[in-house]
Parts: sequence; C-alpha cells; structure tokens
Amino acid sequence: MAFEFRYLTAAIALVIGLTGAAHADQLADIRKAGVLRAAVFDSNPPFGLVDEKTHNLVGYDIDFAKAFADKIGVKLELVPTNPANRIPLLTSGKADLIVADITITPERATVIDFSTPYFVTGQQFLVPTGSPDKLDGYATARIGAVKGTTGEQALKTRFPQARVLSYDDVPLALASLRNGTVQAITQDSEILAGLLAAAPDKSKYKLLPELLSKEEIGIGVKKNETALLAEVNKILVSLEQDGQAGQIFDRWFGKGSKAPETRNFKITAQ
Amino acid sequence: MGLDFTVVLRNLDYLLWGRLTDGELGGLLLTVVMAVSAGILSLALGIALAMVAWRCQASRKLLFLWAELIRGIPLIFVIFWLYFLVPALFGGGIPNALSVILALAWFSSAAIMHSVLAGLQSLPRSQYEAGIASGLAEHQVLCWILLPQALRNLIPSFVGLFASLIKDTSLAFIVNVPELTTVASQVNNRTQLFPTEIFLSIAAMYFVLCGVLSLAARAVCGPSSR
Repeated sequence: MAFEFRYLTAAIALVIGLTGAAHADQLADIRKAGVLRAAVFDSNPPFGLVDEKTHNLVGYDIDFAKAFADKIGVKLELVPTNPANRIPLLTSGKADLIVADITITPERATVIDFSTPYFVTGQQFLVPTGSPDKLDGYATARIGAVKGTTGEQALKTRFPQARVLSYDDVPLALASLRNGTVQAITQDSEILAGLLAAAPDKSKYKLLPELLSKEEIGIGVKKNETALLAEVNKILVSLEQDGQAGQIFDRWFGKGSKAPETRNFKITAQ
Repeated sequence: MGLDFTVVLRNLDYLLWGRLTDGELGGLLLTVVMAVSAGILSLALGIALAMVAWRCQASRKLLFLWAELIRGIPLIFVIFWLYFLVPALFGGGIPNALSVILALAWFSSAAIMHSVLAGLQSLPRSQYEAGIASGLAEHQVLCWILLPQALRNLIPSFVGLFASLIKDTSLAFIVNVPELTTVASQVNNRTQLFPTEIFLSIAAMYFVLCGVLSLAARAVCGPSSR
C-alpha cells in the first residue's frame, strides 16, 4: 500500500507540476501574500509534534520554519503533512517549503531542490564503555545490526572484514552486546540514544560520536525557485552564525531532551 | 500488562474538539461536522440524481456508468486526489476538511442514488397511475406521492450508509485533516507508550457515535419501520 501510494503521489506531483503555471518568483509571491506556508510533520517527535498543553505544533522543524518566516518578514502558516505527501504538497503549490525532516537524496533532488543541510543524522555505534572511540577500531570486530536496515548495508560496505550479525530488533542486538556476542551494535543515532536512555545498565555503554553513514536533512524548495532557495540558504547560514540554530538543536536534542545527542555538524553555505 | 487510560483523559479535550479554542475545528467534533455535511450533500445530490434517472431513461445509463466509476475507485484515492486537485483548480483558499467532505459526498451520492431509485421502483405501479389519474403532472407524482413513501422506506438503508460515512471520515488522516483518527495518532506518536489505550478509546467513540445514530433513527421512525 505504501509503495502504491508513493507511485500515486509521484504521478500526481508530475501532473500538477506539468500543468501548474511556472511562477516568476515564489519568494516575491510569499512577500506579496505576507504568508510563508511550510509543510511540517505533526506526528514525528522531536521534528514536528502537537504540544500536549498548548495543542500547537512544535518541534525542531517548526522552530526553523518560524525562523524563516521571521527573517523573510511574513506570517507563518504550518501545513501538517505525513512523509508521503511532502513532495506533492510542494509541487501542487499547497506549501512553499518542506521543513519536515526530509533526507536529501539524489532521487528526490530530481523533483525538488534542497537547501544546505540543517540537520545531520546517521548510523552510530553503541559500544561498551572501555572500547575504542574511533570507528576504524571496529574494522574486524563482530558487530550487531538490525535486519534490513541501511546500517546493515553500510557496515558491509565500510567494514568488509567485520562480521555482521543481524538481529530482528535493537533490544535483541543490545542483549548480544550485553553478553559479549558482539563488540558493537549500530542503528540510527536517535534510536540508539533512546535505547540507551531506557537501559537500566546505561553506564556500561557509550555512543560513539562518529557516524557510520550520514543522512543530511535539508529544506525542500520547488525546482528552479533560485531566489527562494538562495534566501533559505542565506537564512540557514545566518542562524548558524548567530547561534540560533545551535539553540534550536539544544531545545530538541540537547541535555534537557529525552534522548540527548551531540551536535556534530554545522550549517554551512553550499 | 495493565492499561493506563490517564493518557486519554489528559488529552481528552484535544481528542474531542482539537484546537477549537484557537479557532480550528478538530477531533471528534470535526468528525461529526464532516460526516453531517457530507451526509446532507450526498443525500441532496443522490436524491436529485435518482429523480433524474427515474424520469429520464436516456440519462440512466450515463448515471449508472458514473456510479460504477465511483464504486470502482477506493475512497482513499478520491480523498487524496481532491486534496491536491481542488486547490489546484479553485485556488488555495479551500479548507482541507472541505476537500475531504466533497470527496465523501461525491462517493456516497452514488450509493444514495441507487438506493433511492430502487426505493422508487419498488413502489406499486398503482401509486403512479393513481397520481396521474387524479390529474397530477409526472413531476408532481414523483415529488408528492412517490418520493415521500420511498424515502421513509429507505431510512434503515440511509442509517447504514451514514454509519459508513462516519467511519470513512477517518480516512482524512491520509491528508492530515485533524479529525478524530488524525489527532489520536498525533497523541500516540508523541507519547508512544499507550497505543492500545488511545486507539481503544477512539474505537469506543466511533462506536458510540454510530450507536447514537441508530437509536435516533429508530426513535424517529418508530417501531413500525422495518
């Protein structure tokens, strides 16, 4: 079902994209309308979620969307979306920007343009506290991964000498790490951080900051809207320089958050 | 495993009426509003189409083909298309909930048309002939003699269709319209620990809503209705 929807989505995006009139300049349209419409998640913490008390949309992405509207000097309208609808929302003109944890991939880049990355995530290693800090220290190790994940693939590519043991889920992989069957386990950093936070024996393990594979998250902009894309990039870089981007990160992934992470990236001009 | 329903109580206002205090309808209330609006629209459209089909043989084939077309497409696709197409055709000013209402109404109107036409055809031929014999025009016979009898007979069928309509509003979650199912999954994805409690409560709300509808229909029709 999910797959069919993706095709359907792509087909609709294509049809609407072809019939939709090419705007001269979307940035000018946004300024004229006085509203920036950003497609954001409503069900994907901590990127986009509905706050329990205020019932407002909040999250890492929403803070960036607010910053864009502020800097452009217009009001912000949030368009809640799920992953499958993100690109059609942009191509059909229902949203001006995708600010919804969208990973930059070459395939997607043929349909929409991406800004410079404003979030970087990827596969991390969870290892016993006394183990080496560098990923290369595990080139010949026994490493646990979860079946069918990108992490399993990435391990085989990066460390062909390592023995990859595949598990059905992460808790099972952690159990193997506990009893010493594997020397490290790998998974998305958010998942590992959450797993570690919930583990009763968390002091015995550490997360390696180095990433096995990198996923870069960007802002989605309609194809060939060069002025808007340039403005988004300019704002992203300025948010990094004045420290706001760091503050937003700390709010959602910092020490006070459920699964704290280290910010091992900086937003830079492309 | 013990169930902890406090998560439902904590979010009850959001589940019941969403962000109503901020001027945005949501939750169970939006579900009801969507079902009622789509119900009224589809009833009007379905009855009108049935009248056309009853009076004009030539149009019947075309209308049946149209109904067949609607029946052959999953409702979720129709919702999905209207969500992106309605704004593309009429500008961006149409609320998302309205595009889903239109999809539901369009979909249900085909079923209503078939029901009403069958209801009209099932009446004894003598009703029509008596009407014509008393000097009424054909459209007067239809409006004043046949339709009132047919519609009364059709109430149980309409109740069934309307109950489906209530449950079908949940498909609006595919386009993030904040009706009951959407807000429930928002709460579930934020808390992540209580899916059983949340979705059991939601199911109960749908059940109560449909149950109230059946009881109301029974009260209106009286025990005499079949």
